[in-house]
Amino acid sequence: MRRLLSLLLLVAVLPAQAALFDDEEARKRIEALRTEVNARMDKLEAASRGQIELANQIEALKQEVAKLRGQIEVLANEIESTQKRQKDFYVDLDNRLRKLEAPPAETKPAEAKPASDPAAETRDYEAALGLFKSGKHKDALGAFLNFIKAWPASPFLPSAHYWAGSAHYQLGEYKKAIELFGKLVAAWPDDVKAPDALLGEANCLQESGDAKGARKALETLVAKYPASGAAAVAKQRLAPSRPPRKK
Amino acid sequence: MTALVRAAFALVVFALSFAARAQLTIEITGAGANRIPIAIADFAGEPGVSRAVAMVVRADLERSGLFKLVEAGAPLAENAAVNFADWKAQGADALVVGSVQPTANGRFEVRFRLHDVQKQASLGGLAFVMAAPQARTTGHRIADFVYEKLLGEPGIFSTRIAYVVKSAGRFELQIADADGMNPQTALASREPIISPAWSPDGGRLAYVSFEAKKPVIYVHSLASGKRHVAANFKGSNSAPAWSPDGRKLAVVLTKDGASQLYSVNADGSGVVRLASSAGIDTEPFFSPDGQFIYFTSDRGGSPQVYRVSSGGGSAQRITFEGSYNVTPRLSPDGKNMAFVTRNNGRFQLALMDLATRQTQVLTDSDKDESPSFAPNGRMILYASEIGGRGVLAAVSSDGRVKQKLSVQAGDVREPAWGPFLKN
Amino acid sequence: MSKKWMIVLGAALIAGCGTTVDPEQPGASVEDRNAKSIDGADVKRVTPEDNLGTALAAVKQGVLAKRSVFFDYDSYVIKDEYKSLVEAHAKFLVANPRVKMLIQGNADERGSREYNLALGQKRAEALRKMLALLGAREEQIEAVSLGEEKPRCSEGSEACWSQNRRDDMLYTGEF
Repeated sequence: MRRLLSLLLLVAVLPAQAALFDDEEARKRIEALRTEVNARMDKLEAASRGQIELANQIEALKQEVAKLRGQIEVLANEIESTQKRQKDFYVDLDNRLRKLEAPPAETKPAEAKPASDPAAETRDYEAALGLFKSGKHKDALGAFLNFIKAWPASPFLPSAHYWAGSAHYQLGEYKKAIELFGKLVAAWPDDVKAPDALLGEANCLQESGDAKGARKALETLVAKYPASGAAAVAKQRLAPSRPPRKK
Repeated sequence: MTALVRAAFALVVFALSFAARAQLTIEITGAGANRIPIAIADFAGEPGVSRAVAMVVRADLERSGLFKLVEAGAPLAENAAVNFADWKAQGADALVVGSVQPTANGRFEVRFRLHDVQKQASLGGLAFVMAAPQARTTGHRIADFVYEKLLGEPGIFSTRIAYVVKSAGRFELQIADADGMNPQTALASREPIISPAWSPDGGRLAYVSFEAKKPVIYVHSLASGKRHVAANFKGSNSAPAWSPDGRKLAVVLTKDGASQLYSVNADGSGVVRLASSAGIDTEPFFSPDGQFIYFTSDRGGSPQVYRVSSGGGSAQRITFEGSYNVTPRLSPDGKNMAFVTRNNGRFQLALMDLATRQTQVLTDSDKDESPSFAPNGRMILYASEIGGRGVLAAVSSDGRVKQKLSVQAGDVREPAWGPFLKN
Repeated sequence: MSKKWMIVLGAALIAGCGTTVDPEQPGASVEDRNAKSIDGADVKRVTPEDNLGTALAAVKQGVLAKRSVFFDYDSYVIKDEYKSLVEAHAKFLVANPRVKMLIQGNADERGSREYNLALGQKRAEALRKMLALLGAREEQIEAVSLGEEKPRCSEGSEACWSQNRRDDMLYTGEF
């Protein structure tokens, strides 16, 4: 402001002096002034250009921060749901272990056979499961079928049926898969794998072209085990005109 | 003078024909799995009024997608003896009978009774006194009664819907009965009108109008037709949402730069900031208990649904799947949230169970927008596009029942389903 | 205080009339309102009404007649190609502090109307900030959004959508 005032003063005073100096002199001084003013304006403009540049950078940073924030939100959510799943797994495992530990206590005299070696039983089961998980479906199938024969009283029996059925499914042997899934549901309707078996059955029916049967299996699943994870999947599939949502 | 009269007459005719064209027609495109077979006999007594009432009841129940009409034959009076075996043989599970009697000063008394054919018992009935033009209203109330008795939840046939019709560069905010009949124009403008929102008592509409070359929020009293500005700050004013007590509006203002959430009293006083972010916050919606405000925000780099306590505090993200989830609208019981999600470039209506966060996509169209729950939570009304023209559509929250509502000439958009009317 | 200044300025004017001080602009007197120079005398002398009228005539021609800035998809940054246009408008606003501008941001039609309104606002806001940094005063500019409601083009194609992702600048009397 002060600069502007002094400038005005100069501008004002200069012409007044024009009477005293000749035109040439006045012209020169005004020219000089003009150059200086222009230089200052250029500087000012350069400064505001710099500011715009800065503002743009801030905008870009804001966007970057927003993206990072979004990623943190997604990760936090994933951690939360993983922890929940972990807990569910633990509860499931705990239940199975309890079943494993319980029978000897209840029926101690009769069941003290060498055949029920819990360590060997678990080892066989895990080995079969390992085969399945590494994609060796044929080997896994054999292992699970052997397991079913070898450990007829095992608490893993429902699960073994499930995995054997799944292995059949993977191998495209839908009829055999349906047989095993069906047996699981019939013999152990309260097992945690029962809803999954129903879902597997629906998948097999669908794959073998029986859409109606598949739908029926899904409906049974939703009706019998409404709270299960498999039922949630079934509900999505039963929703009209919609394929399951992509992750 | 006569020229003037003629001109005025032409104008009236034009207005009438416009109203006729603007009528919403509703088409059912999907129905529930187990529809209740019901017979609605013509009412005994005054034949004209009787037919009008019975027709509305039939149309309402059928349109809900939850009933199947059974042929009813001759008129049956409200107090007639019912031969349940006959009705059972015809496949009806329920039967409505009634009568219309003229009373003094040209009015009519309408009485009806609902029977459970299976149990061979009466489920009750009602009586109304009405003038002939109220036949539709009466029909809707009978349908509401039947619906509630047979399904255990209130019917929505007596409610109203608001929407915006665009035709030939003209925008009209219209209000019609839930069946699309009886449309009335609350506001006509050359400039766009968006985001109508019903006050919880159904007496006022808040909306955004661009008549001042910028978005300004108005509150419009339907009974008086008067309106006032609820928010006109520097910048844009938009996305009004009523608090459940009807006293406040959550709004989006840009007076401090970006689009941010504020609360104002319905009369426009008392502006308070609700949440703050470095990005866009918009589309607020109160949870029915008034505890939370759900909204759309791009604070995480893409538009997602968040919620914040209506008393303030930090926001919690609700949607995680996909890169575009907007327009959260809670069901009247507060358990579900309808929103719009983008799947492979298609904008579709989705429903989330807020307890489990399970999400189900309800529609299979490309440009779905602006979901709005019916006050009983059964249907969701939304805007869609068919053949480049705006239409309204409704889908039941289980995705089974589907309806399409369209106006013959023009685009319909921005639907808002009104509340239950207390009377 | 102000009286004193007026006397000084008066003197300056009289002196100015007496001599032709600028050889480059022979016809230009200090009364010339189009003078590009920043002589304080000039600006102070002109009555506001005249200023507004002449100024608004100026925005109908030349570079100032160009009023639209277009944006890329999902972008809210003024592209380099529009910087000189924005600078010209900023200069004009600085030189004419009584002139007001309404910036209307727009968005393409895809997605939610209200969210698109917010996106249009983001674009209007970007332009407002740039004009402010170039010296325009806060109360001179209002940034608003029309969202997807006023499309310049209404076919569902990218060529069309890019027309709708824009800011329009309106001057006093145009809104």
